[in-house]
Amino acid sequence: MTPIIETRDLWKIHPMDGTGVEALRGVNLAVEPGEFVALVGPSGSGKSTLLHLLGAMDTPTRGEVVFEGKNLAAFSDGERTQLRCRQIGFVFQTFNLLPTLTAFQNVELPLRLARVPTRERIPRARELLIQVGLGARTNHLPRQLSGGERQRVAIARALANHPKLLLADEPTGNLDSVTGKEIIALLQEVHRAGQTIMLVTHNADVAAQANRVLHVRDGVIGT
Amino acid sequence: MFDLAIKNILARKTRSLLCIFAVMVSVYLNGSTATMNNWMYTTMTSELARYMGKIYVQQGGSSYPPFDSSIAEATAQEILAHDDLNSVQSTPLIFVRLARAMMPFMPAQAMVIGVMQGKEPALWGRVEAASGVNAFAPDERGDVAILGDKAGSYFNARVGDNIPINNTEVRVIGILQRSSMDSVNIAAAVPLASAQRIFAKEGTVSAVLVGVQDVNNVPTIADALKRDYPLLQVVTQDDMLKDAQAVLKMPMLYMSVMSLTAFIVAFAVIMSTMVMAVFERTREIGTLRAIGAEAHTILVMVFAEIVMLTVVGGIPGAILTLPMATMMNTILPSPGQLAQIVLLAIVAGALGGLYPAWRAARVNPLEALRYE
Repeated sequence: MTPIIETRDLWKIHPMDGTGVEALRGVNLAVEPGEFVALVGPSGSGKSTLLHLLGAMDTPTRGEVVFEGKNLAAFSDGERTQLRCRQIGFVFQTFNLLPTLTAFQNVELPLRLARVPTRERIPRARELLIQVGLGARTNHLPRQLSGGERQRVAIARALANHPKLLLADEPTGNLDSVTGKEIIALLQEVHRAGQTIMLVTHNADVAAQANRVLHVRDGVIGT
Repeated sequence: MFDLAIKNILARKTRSLLCIFAVMVSVYLNGSTATMNNWMYTTMTSELARYMGKIYVQQGGSSYPPFDSSIAEATAQEILAHDDLNSVQSTPLIFVRLARAMMPFMPAQAMVIGVMQGKEPALWGRVEAASGVNAFAPDERGDVAILGDKAGSYFNARVGDNIPINNTEVRVIGILQRSSMDSVNIAAAVPLASAQRIFAKEGTVSAVLVGVQDVNNVPTIADALKRDYPLLQVVTQDDMLKDAQAVLKMPMLYMSVMSLTAFIVAFAVIMSTMVMAVFERTREIGTLRAIGAEAHTILVMVFAEIVMLTVVGGIPGAILTLPMATMMNTILPSPGQLAQIVLLAIVAGALGGLYPAWRAARVNPLEALRYE
């Protein structure tokens, strides 16, 4: 089976004060369709850097990121944007909802960016909000929602365009433990529906919910 | 993305209102300076229109109106005896300024013109009286005045009132309708003999207004007068036009600089406001980029915001210039001219928005995460 995403000898060196900080050092990994992978490691280990590279938000210093058999190095900025729009969903630690848009409009936004016709995107956005348990909160602004509700909206937004890969960067990092568990339960539910998920966390309990756990330390993946 | 731009405007009310206010003031200033220039130009051209086919002869080196000119009345009579003159349109005149004008290109706020009885049409053409009469009686010997529209207001006088001119009580016998010539509006016209007496100018006049039978003969007659009276100054409509243009050059340049400054201010305000707005929204823009908004989508969003702010500020700013034009009694700016001013503000806004929009479009999606 072709992996959804894989990396080959992936390096990322951040320039700093005339030298370079090696955030990733020759990472090789492959994520198969339907997997739920957790990347765990201490702060500064390079797990978020890896997630950014996998999400086409950053470019490697050397090595390759291959999405469904296509090397992202060959992608233009517009093609990378389209990839993020249609194929990859993001869930951020601090939710990153647009504060001026309602929950519904936030979920609808990626559909609009993907130029999905109105007759399709309205029911899709509504269906997603119902799926994440916010059917009654569609017209609320982010500031009127709790942290857990905001993260649910963010998950719904990430799923809007049926992405092949869902990337989540510390999705429970800003939530209390009870709400965090609810969010992980929601991600598991989404995974059971067939969604490939890759999640970054430094919480062992959260990582334990994944099918596969990859430990990142000093820019390399261990076992 | 237009709805997002509107939401951004509404979400930052104070910033948006300040920006709209700055654009409004800029457009108002532009509209006002254009109105002022319009007013100066129309005043000048209507003023000069009545000198078509006329020649002023005055003391050498004096300006117009010839307040500082003095020529012998006998010389004036000699000039008036010249062939090919239109006798009704020709008269010796006395000019005395009563109050200085507030604007540099205007002759005075109020002035007295002494004119020969029966020659009033040479001075104000066919302007009718708003009250009283518009011409002196041929046998009038008293100190009487016919006031221009503005002079009436200046003296706060009505027909039958006495007004003080150089310590002499002068009776108002007529007030003229508003004329297109401001020098008529601001004048208190009195019979020539009366003016000579009141201002102790017996035997002298300020200038001779020479009307010609045929407009085409103006250069020939002007040349003949220059030759016959080399010490006097012979001024034609063309000379006046040149003088007026020279006088108007500085105020009009000043107005244009004001106008340009207003645009620069609008440009700077919009640029600084939008740079700050983009800076504040780096995380939001980064999020948009991260979830699939293309660079040009962000560019359009920021530009849409700028255009909306300039239109919302520009339209009331343009409308505000209308009372100004009405107050100055000048030609109202046409809808096309107002649209042009608003369009210029939009151009200034768009230029001011180029850098912030470019900066917004270049926001890296990673910013959404870095700002955590």
